[in-house]
Amino acid sequence: MSMADLAPSLPADTARTGGLARLAVAATVALLFAGGGFLLHAEQQGQVIALLAAFVAVFALAEKVPVGRRIVGLCRAHPGTVNLTAALSILAIAAALREEHYTLLMMATVALFATAAAGLTLQMAFAGVPNFAGAAFFAVGAYVAALLGHTGIPHLLVLLIAGLAAAVLGLVLLLPVLRTRGHYAALVTIAFGLLLRAFLEVNDVLGGPQGMKVKSFSLFGLDFSRVTEIGPYDVSFYLPYALASCALFALAFFLVRRLETSFVGVALDAVRSDEVAASVFGLSIARWKATAFLLGNAMIGVAGALYGMMNGFVNPNSANFGDSLIMLSILVLGGLGNLWGAVVAAVVILVIPEKLQAIQEFRLIIFALLVIAILRFRPSGLMPRAVRDFSALVKGGSR
Amino acid sequence: MSPLLACSGLTMRFGGLTALDALDISVGKGETIGLVGPNGSGKTTFFNVLTGLYKPSAGAVQLEAQDLFARSAQEIGRAGVARTFQRSRLMLDQTVFDNIALGALGRLDLSLLSALVLRGRFRRQLSELVERATALTRRFNPQIAANLFKPAGSFTMIDRRRIEICRALVGAPRLLLLDEPSAGMTHEETRALMDDLLAFREEMPDLAIVLVEHEMDVIRRISDRCIVLNFGKKIFEGPFDALIADREVQTAYLGGAQ
Ligand SMILES: Nc1ncnc2c1ncn2[C@@H]1O[C@H](COP(=O)(O)OP(=O)(O)OP(=O)(O)O)[C@@H](O)[C@H]1O
Ligand SMILES: [Mg+2]
Repeated sequence: MSMADLAPSLPADTARTGGLARLAVAATVALLFAGGGFLLHAEQQGQVIALLAAFVAVFALAEKVPVGRRIVGLCRAHPGTVNLTAALSILAIAAALREEHYTLLMMATVALFATAAAGLTLQMAFAGVPNFAGAAFFAVGAYVAALLGHTGIPHLLVLLIAGLAAAVLGLVLLLPVLRTRGHYAALVTIAFGLLLRAFLEVNDVLGGPQGMKVKSFSLFGLDFSRVTEIGPYDVSFYLPYALASCALFALAFFLVRRLETSFVGVALDAVRSDEVAASVFGLSIARWKATAFLLGNAMIGVAGALYGMMNGFVNPNSANFGDSLIMLSILVLGGLGNLWGAVVAAVVILVIPEKLQAIQEFRLIIFALLVIAILRFRPSGLMPRAVRDFSALVKGGSR
Repeated sequence: MSPLLACSGLTMRFGGLTALDALDISVGKGETIGLVGPNGSGKTTFFNVLTGLYKPSAGAVQLEAQDLFARSAQEIGRAGVARTFQRSRLMLDQTVFDNIALGALGRLDLSLLSALVLRGRFRRQLSELVERATALTRRFNPQIAANLFKPAGSFTMIDRRRIEICRALVGAPRLLLLDEPSAGMTHEETRALMDDLLAFREEMPDLAIVLVEHEMDVIRRISDRCIVLNFGKKIFEGPFDALIADREVQTAYLGGAQ
């Protein structure tokens, strides 16, 4: 049999392996989310530790064994399948845990911090603009929600205004951040965060150190805090928050990915990695850094507004430096520039310390060891950003 | 006919050091200039000033009707001046295509609207650019064209120089500045690179090139006119044969000037 005889059977073959590949991808993602769901819900220390061990094993082996590498490659090749499976898994987890207040609260928190991390991704991972004041912009969003939540302005619009406000406040920082570089720009943002917090503490209109109450989120007349059942099912009022937070993350994910897979993404990468080459080829460094900084802060502000509405209050402590560092850790631990990495890292950083409550004095040690171990063995994060590959778009890929 | 590029009295001082000393240099449309001079004579500085990376201390720079004196790098880039760098400057962990795309970004639609919403328009521009990049890289090395979506860092130094040249060419510049493109190449590789460049040149007869090069063979083959710098001053300008015979150039190269 010659090569020519074999050729016609090729397309059908690749179609079949394509289907199989998608199935493998979907199964992997579903399994990971199932593990995450169990971790969110687990109450016994034994379960938590077992899940953690499984988690460490999965990430340790992912790139060591051939099967792991194969699966990682397949996931990268089928982003559509990954995203769809992830969305369905999240809905399934939410449905299964619909009555669990605390678990849903954590799920919403993870989604909102991951949304903030998406904003930081634009700034730091793409444009290379440091932002050590993430929590400050998050708090700005929450304060805007506190001020406007009860005025009758539709809450979706309030979220939008909160984003705008965070971006506008970021303008104050824009000049110094564009003029300075590296550590100096980072210092500027740290100073801004500290200043904002001090300002909030002494400002009586904004409630001083006590802060302000924030009205709960309502969507088209449906007040989230009053939701107790959906159809025949009793649900926690945190369920709509968890779903809305995940939807917000999905939107941020969509925006960031679209930008990344466009010429804007190339421009941002060029500005970050080589300002000289970027400017010689006609890019305005200031324009792109400013665009990323403002858009990123807007995303953080919107996430902060929903977070404030869910918690029902906001105070100056929300703008503390520690929380800004937590947001950054999520970014770095997840892998700069990879938003699914940010989700996994948000679970590690926000959920695991809570889950280890029972062993109080040891929990921070275990947590710290875990983070150090991750960065020791995966220095570019749990899920490093994939190289942008436009070939998928040219050959009539689906996205 | 007025020249494409006209510099007069172009001066660049770094503190007490005069790196470019009242240079008068003009380049015509479609002309190839061989720019030579000993180490530290100011060749790279000339490129850096021309492309807006350094602000010149004095003089005038004109690209056709456009005044480019002390303009920003990005304005100059958009006016149609492209270059390569003596020390390669590629984004090594991005694909070859992304690197080459940078050379065209100045003329593409970079609005957020088309990145986020009007994807049809973006995709059209993308596939056009992929075709251009493929055709360009194929000319310099078919292996690059075949691996257009591999990280630039996975290529040899020589291929990286070729990629840099493609990046500079993809935006269809009017003036191309090449800073020692053959550094580190063997004679054969250098010859092949120059053949490719000359072949490309056939299709863009208006493109002006300024080439910094230490290999005299290369200069002889490719340049219409030669300019020699020494201590930031132009000490010679004319055809290659006259350059070889010039006493002052010989002393500059043999170190007699010190
Ligand atoms: N940014 C700078 N600051 C101070 N001095 C500089 C700077 N750039 C170049 N110079 C000086 O200007 C002079 C010319 O340097 P340039 O790099 O232009 O030389 P060159 O002709 O390109 O040499 P080579 O053949 O080694 O590449 C040198 O004395 C160099 O030290
Ligand atoms: Mg030089």
